[in-house]
Amino acid sequence: MKKKILAFGFMLSSFLSYGQRATDSVYKKQKISETDIQILFSYYNQNGDHSAVTGGVGTEMLHVYAPEIIVNHQIDSLNSYTIDGGADVITSASADNIDFNKSSASRIDTRSYLNVSYQRKLKHSDTHLGISTGQSIESAYRSTPLGFSFDHKNASGTREIAASIQCYFDDLRWGLLDPDYYHPITVVYPYELRNKKWFTNYQRYSYNLSFALYQAINRRMQFALFPELVYQKGLLCTPFHRVFFNDHYTEKVENLPIQRWKIPLAIQLNIFAGNRTIIRSYYRFYWDDFGITAHTFKLEVPVKLSATFTVAPLVRFYTQTAAKYFEPYAQHALDEEFYTSDYDLSKFNSYEIGLSLRYAPHAQFIKKYFFQEVALRYAYYERTNKLNGSMISLLFDINHSGKKSK
Amino acid sequence: MPKCTFIYILLLLLAFVSSSCHTVKPYQRAYLNDENMKLGKANNEKFSESVHTYREGASGGGNGKASGGCSCN
Repeated sequence: MKKKILAFGFMLSSFLSYGQRATDSVYKKQKISETDIQILFSYYNQNGDHSAVTGGVGTEMLHVYAPEIIVNHQIDSLNSYTIDGGADVITSASADNIDFNKSSASRIDTRSYLNVSYQRKLKHSDTHLGISTGQSIESAYRSTPLGFSFDHKNASGTREIAASIQCYFDDLRWGLLDPDYYHPITVVYPYELRNKKWFTNYQRYSYNLSFALYQAINRRMQFALFPELVYQKGLLCTPFHRVFFNDHYTEKVENLPIQRWKIPLAIQLNIFAGNRTIIRSYYRFYWDDFGITAHTFKLEVPVKLSATFTVAPLVRFYTQTAAKYFEPYAQHALDEEFYTSDYDLSKFNSYEIGLSLRYAPHAQFIKKYFFQEVALRYAYYERTNKLNGSMISLLFDINHSGKKSK
Repeated sequence: MPKCTFIYILLLLLAFVSSSCHTVKPYQRAYLNDENMKLGKANNEKFSESVHTYREGASGGGNGKASGGCSCN
């Protein structure tokens, strides 16, 4: 019976392709436009007692609400653009301790961002070139990204290589969002350390050179390799982080070198096992010249309960060594050139467990509008130095497609 | 484990995986084209990755920003 269906399928497809050839003489070039709209709502909370703002002691309680919208528009078969905009509304107990004033604006901060990218496919080749830029603003930070990308698929479509360079030009001065100024004024130091200008530089430059190789191994397996090289220069410390020294008297602003090299190298292997189960595995090795070496292992196993509904448990393990400039509260010696008590740079292990639910009906709900998917992801995160948090993301994906005659 | 040993193992693994690649014809890609088989980060993973960038020393590697664009790193 199967053979009969296959034979019938081949006959039908050859008939259809013959039919297409016959209409070539009256072929009209069509411009197919398609817009994909993704709306994301995310929330993160954490608690711990090693805040860098208070020198490695004190609350790290934080809430982040992060709505985001991503619109990808395929203008025609060659050109597309993406607009990505959103805001991270941050309520941070530790940031409030910059000036010990509970009514200060630092208690609630907002990072708003808008990024635009354009991509063009080269004619007669499966190669894309892209350019991207944007703006990200928060009360004491402004970032301007600029990026270029390239990707190429081989003729059989089983291998893809990609390369991109992403540059960030950041300004760490406060004042841009303050109604008294509306332009950058000064770097923010902890309240009691504002009698001295600790840094003359307020800029940070980051250059990320990343590559990717995507390769299909067989009908059920594919892998990717992600080597990356990152160089940062400028004010790399956070100027409102306090450091207390081992004389139990001296207090200074965190100080880190003015340049940093990072090398992440990651590999991902996805396997479609059986008819319903996918194994998504990921490993990353990371090294930087601050002294951090890290290993990340992630495993996610989506199981298709039906054609439209997928449930995916996930687990992630992470371990890192401490940066050579890190010491806990009141442990730094006075003769050290660089110092930080930021526990994000300390030695720790972390794990994350979670669950992802995805409903993808790909169903039409209004003329030309298709409901692609809704996905919910929850994860619990814990570090061995007592920081723990939860994150939740809700994604809606809607697609609009239309045909225009040219 | 010394760094060079790790890199040798990774290169060997890569060579092994690459040598075992088969040509997969377009009509044989039903499993590979599944949404859950997509390589790189999934759409709803993006926020988690950004949290890891805030809270951990390491970043990058095909899973989100490696630097810049926020005061975290």
